[in-house]
Amino acid sequence: MSSLFVIRGNDQGLRFELELPVVSLGRDLSSTIQLHDTEVSRQHAEIRRTGDRYAIVDLRSSNGTFVNGRKMGGDVAEQYELFSGDQIQLGGTLMLFTGPTEETPEDIASTINIGQPLEGERSNIIRSMAQEEGSRFFEIGPNATQDPWLNRARSNLQVMYRTALAVSHTLDIGQLLDRIMDLIFEWVEADRGCVMLINPATKVLEPKVRRTRTGVESEDRITISKTILDFVTERNEGVLTSDARQDERWDSAASIVRAGIREAICVPMRGRYDMVGMIYIDTSISPQKRISSNDSEKFTEDHLKLMIAIAHQAALAVEDTRYYSAMVQAEKLAAIGQTITTLSHHIKNILQGIRGGSYLIELGLSDNDQSVVRRAWKILEKNQNKISSFVMDMLTFSKEREPDLKPAEINAIVDDAVELMQTRGSELKVQLRWQPDKSIPKLVFDPDGIGRAVLNVLTNAIDAAAEENESGGGQVGIRTEFTEKATRVIVEDNGPGIAPESIDGIFSPFVSSKKGRGTGLGLPVSRKILNEHDGQILVSSEPGGGAKFTLELPTVLACSDSQANDDSQDG
Amino acid sequence: MQSVLIVDRSEETREVFSTALARRGLRAILASHPQSGMRIARALRPDLVVLDVESDNLDSEEIYSHFTRESVINKTPLLLLGTIRRNAEKIPGREIIDKPYHYGPLVRRIEELLNRDCCVVSHDD
Repeated sequence: MSSLFVIRGNDQGLRFELELPVVSLGRDLSSTIQLHDTEVSRQHAEIRRTGDRYAIVDLRSSNGTFVNGRKMGGDVAEQYELFSGDQIQLGGTLMLFTGPTEETPEDIASTINIGQPLEGERSNIIRSMAQEEGSRFFEIGPNATQDPWLNRARSNLQVMYRTALAVSHTLDIGQLLDRIMDLIFEWVEADRGCVMLINPATKVLEPKVRRTRTGVESEDRITISKTILDFVTERNEGVLTSDARQDERWDSAASIVRAGIREAICVPMRGRYDMVGMIYIDTSISPQKRISSNDSEKFTEDHLKLMIAIAHQAALAVEDTRYYSAMVQAEKLAAIGQTITTLSHHIKNILQGIRGGSYLIELGLSDNDQSVVRRAWKILEKNQNKISSFVMDMLTFSKEREPDLKPAEINAIVDDAVELMQTRGSELKVQLRWQPDKSIPKLVFDPDGIGRAVLNVLTNAIDAAAEENESGGGQVGIRTEFTEKATRVIVEDNGPGIAPESIDGIFSPFVSSKKGRGTGLGLPVSRKILNEHDGQILVSSEPGGGAKFTLELPTVLACSDSQANDDSQDG
Repeated sequence: MQSVLIVDRSEETREVFSTALARRGLRAILASHPQSGMRIARALRPDLVVLDVESDNLDSEEIYSHFTRESVINKTPLLLLGTIRRNAEKIPGREIIDKPYHYGPLVRRIEELLNRDCCVVSHDD
């Protein structure tokens, strides 16, 4: 199934499957793919499928349709065949086309057998070889042949192989270009080099990396003639230039250098799409060398070929990096969008509650009815607590926190949580049963953090029990357990239970199964807090059988002297 | 006395409506789930129905289309609280109120819909 993925624009992050034989794109509601972009025409373009091939047609749109940066002609009859990786731009919206895969996974599976060898068949492994050994093929060792052509071919292969290796492990453009320069200087006797990239926004060539060979007298600026740059851009060809520069003055060493010849190579970096930049290298030959050596050229046609090949690889890598970061960015934005949607949904509900409370207060005050005012106040308080819980959870979740360790009584902390939840429990007709292990001594942990962790798990348990036992009978049992190694708070409910495949999901933020009531942050936050203590949360549950959450902390006893000093603060 | 059926999952919302409507001399019937709400509506035939919809829930499409059908058949005004599909059709007697809403104007609207006769100028007052 082919698809379009929006990587830039108002609909960023959306993916459209191209199912129909004709898919229309435009601003109109009737379009198969409706784009929310004022620069897109109402009926902007169409993608037509014949068999396995897809083609795009521009429907005389006002701003045009661009494929890989090139504007399609205005002729409605002009079709452009689409291939995987093509970028389509309509107005301000940029989309990536992914074509159908040639074989579906099922087809491939049916043509290959992985299994037991047949009767009588035994294939012996003759030789095995690791990657490092294999790639030594490229090295020109003592076994190198005398054939210069073969040596050169091998050397060039090595160049290509190492360039590809260098660029494949890098996602950072700066690092990538540095590596390219390293390789170039290794293979070519250049004195100076520079990589320029076209700024995608301004379309201007900007130098990104500049290198000078050590020991070379460097002038401050590398001046590249605009004529050469234009030539390279327009003709998409690499150039090798030689520039004899005469200087009458011979007084200083610098002048001698300047009096030499400068050879330069300038090659375009063009990948799949447009030109992404240029690589320039140069070298200077001093007059003495020129006189003393027969071969006055440092840069040969071979060097030019090599540079063109390297530049092509580098361009592909740069494109990949940019495409990859555009994809990552688009996915990040899509995820952020989802998060914002979920967050605003919860905030809207809380806001509705506050409006309800405020309205009731108005009514109560104007009627001089105290009971109404009291009820209204309760609603406001509840929603206030909801907001504060919500904000606390978000903060806890997002920050790297060091737990605030203190000596504290775990039973007291759990006791507080249970008391806080009593009202909710009775409202939802859920009975809370709290059985502390009285033998637990003072331990060291973050009382606010653990308190919050317990509260979130307890809230979930009460809601689950209420959901399953709507007319009453909901039960939640809380108890503590102490061992030398670990201390546990166990919360059990008689709710609907959790399917084993969903257990991991409940700790994912913003995924709430509570039909819009929970924030989805409670359990992830609890888990984070326990992890910060080097502890964990264990879940044991079966659909229909309730759930049991165990919050486990490593037992850290409060030492007696610190106990004496900090005792006064804790309640 | 005219009656208004409030179908809303939030207990707070039900409480606020019940208090506000009682004050206006209207009888508030409360339901927490659309299923029980539908049963109650058929049994008690309220003069107006307020239904809370959650747009991200796939079930809600079915729910509000049932209520819409009943509202049209019985000529009972229906107020939907929340957002439904972007291209929801305009149906007379059915109004969609975005959330979050303000209770004041909503309660006034409920009264307007119930006392349709009062919108016609009456010479008795």
